[in-house]
Amino acid sequence: MANFDQLSAAQIAAGVRAGDFSATEVARASLDAVDSREPQVQAFLEVSSDLALEAAERTDQARARGEELGPLAGVPCAFKDNMHLVGTHTTCASRMLENYESTFTATCVRRMLDAGATPIGKANMDEFAFGSSTESSAFHRTNNPWDTTRVPGGSSGGSAAAVASGEVTVSLGSDTGGSIRQPASLCGVVGMKPTYGAVSRYGVVAFGSSLDQVGPFGRRVEDVALAMNALVSPGRDPLDSTSQDCPVDFLEHLDDPIAGKRVGVVPQLMEVQGLTDEVRDAVNGAARALEGQGAQVVEVELPNIASAISAYYVIAPCEAFSNLARFDGVRYGYQEQGCATLAEQTSLSRAHGFGEEAKRRQMLGAYLLSSGVYDTYYYPAQQVRTLITQDYERAYEKCDVILMPAAPRTAFKFGELSDPTQMYASDMFTISNNIVGNGGVSVPLGLGRDSGLPVSAQLQGPAFRDRMLLQFARAIERAYDASGIVAPDFAGKGGDLA
Amino acid sequence: MPLSQEDVAGIADYARIALTGDELKEMTTYMNEAVELLKPITEYDLDGVEPTFHPIGDLSNVMGEDVVDDSVRALPIDVALKNAGSSEGRYFRVPSILGSEEGDR
Repeated sequence: MANFDQLSAAQIAAGVRAGDFSATEVARASLDAVDSREPQVQAFLEVSSDLALEAAERTDQARARGEELGPLAGVPCAFKDNMHLVGTHTTCASRMLENYESTFTATCVRRMLDAGATPIGKANMDEFAFGSSTESSAFHRTNNPWDTTRVPGGSSGGSAAAVASGEVTVSLGSDTGGSIRQPASLCGVVGMKPTYGAVSRYGVVAFGSSLDQVGPFGRRVEDVALAMNALVSPGRDPLDSTSQDCPVDFLEHLDDPIAGKRVGVVPQLMEVQGLTDEVRDAVNGAARALEGQGAQVVEVELPNIASAISAYYVIAPCEAFSNLARFDGVRYGYQEQGCATLAEQTSLSRAHGFGEEAKRRQMLGAYLLSSGVYDTYYYPAQQVRTLITQDYERAYEKCDVILMPAAPRTAFKFGELSDPTQMYASDMFTISNNIVGNGGVSVPLGLGRDSGLPVSAQLQGPAFRDRMLLQFARAIERAYDASGIVAPDFAGKGGDLA
Repeated sequence: MPLSQEDVAGIADYARIALTGDELKEMTTYMNEAVELLKPITEYDLDGVEPTFHPIGDLSNVMGEDVVDDSVRALPIDVALKNAGSSEGRYFRVPSILGSEEGDR
């Protein structure tokens, strides 16, 4: 029989339901693939073999009892290591939380497991999600499965690489400024940041609370749609006051034609400094592909979008400083020993527990929130946020979705972007959507003409029109031969279904 | 006016992050570069523009029944304490808050 990495999530669930193979066999195949591929990929911080086999056995027993199985029955899934799952550590790739044992399970994780998914492990990330390359992980780097000398993107780099290498079928990441869409682009997989509020953030370690959103990765648009259903179908989460009811079936209308719909392109964005020719041309090609399916391409303007990165680097560090103040070394986290006072213990625990970028972001936030400075940056940044939101509202009067790059360039080499503020530009196309709270999805367009590495388009849409985004993503997928592909160096390495 | 190392040391104190001399120097360089990146925000005429503190602007408070549902989120004491660096009985243990001459080591 085939290697499990060739099967879609729906095929795995259907196969388990039909008895073609058991959930336990799929779990073993995924763990076997992890064994074979992980030495080169290093996507995981923790592999939860016992939890995986227990969950798979529960699925198999439920089937034996004749119970209805969930839509993700037996589907191997990885979770970013900022998501709590009882029975695993939740480290946020930080020394601060190196020994932290999850004390509860995040709603997003719980919902994937309730839908039948098998938890294979916890994926590597930039420390506390501060970064775009996963290089700031305190524990190890993650390699891009398409070229292991290059970064997978970030901050959800482990989640993207685990899917791209075929170690798992789907994964969850979180996106505060592009941390799902950018690594999805660099690793050649589909990655969705839903509209703010669509998915519960309960149990996900907070970075920027008005920006963070959880979403899925998959090698097919359909797999991402299935995961979205699992995440939203139980309705709003009473444990997250910002979570909203999102009563849609993401599979319904997924294959509907897009003829007659309007795709916005932003000419100003396609000329931005740092965007490579191959990415620009590939995204223009995607516009033509959508046109070829009957969509109408219209030009729209987002006049204030150039300021989005500045607004973000005010808002996000301020929220991060506020959120990370809880790491005081008392209730959990690294604790400096032998201190005379609590203040000394706090300052030294934070100095020695946090890595460089985590310290930088918090220092920046602390400065921006200080008296006098607040009025110069923080308040105006929130006003600029209004202007950017209004830009999008006007644009969506003229179009249904906006098409643009997901990342300015394909995967870069380790250490290539050594200056922190240079790294921040990696998110130039994704950040504005977090500022306004709308959904976005990154869809593979095959390999770039110059680099030979994965290139993606990004589709952005109005708030809570995430299903329509996936319908457009599916249209792009139809036009390109990039669906379901595992990075060639890893495809079929371990993971045969006996 | 760029931030000086003394300014950054003050911020580090406020942020409760003890930085060494070399770290202070690097942090000062970073902070000044990062603040430069934020400049576009200061160049707008924003008179009359309402701020957006949250992406879901029309959210209103959700009122719930005032009932305790321990089954959902309250952590048992042993679970709440298991990640603490030091604890004693049912409590987290911390060094002296105000400090003393001998210290509390």
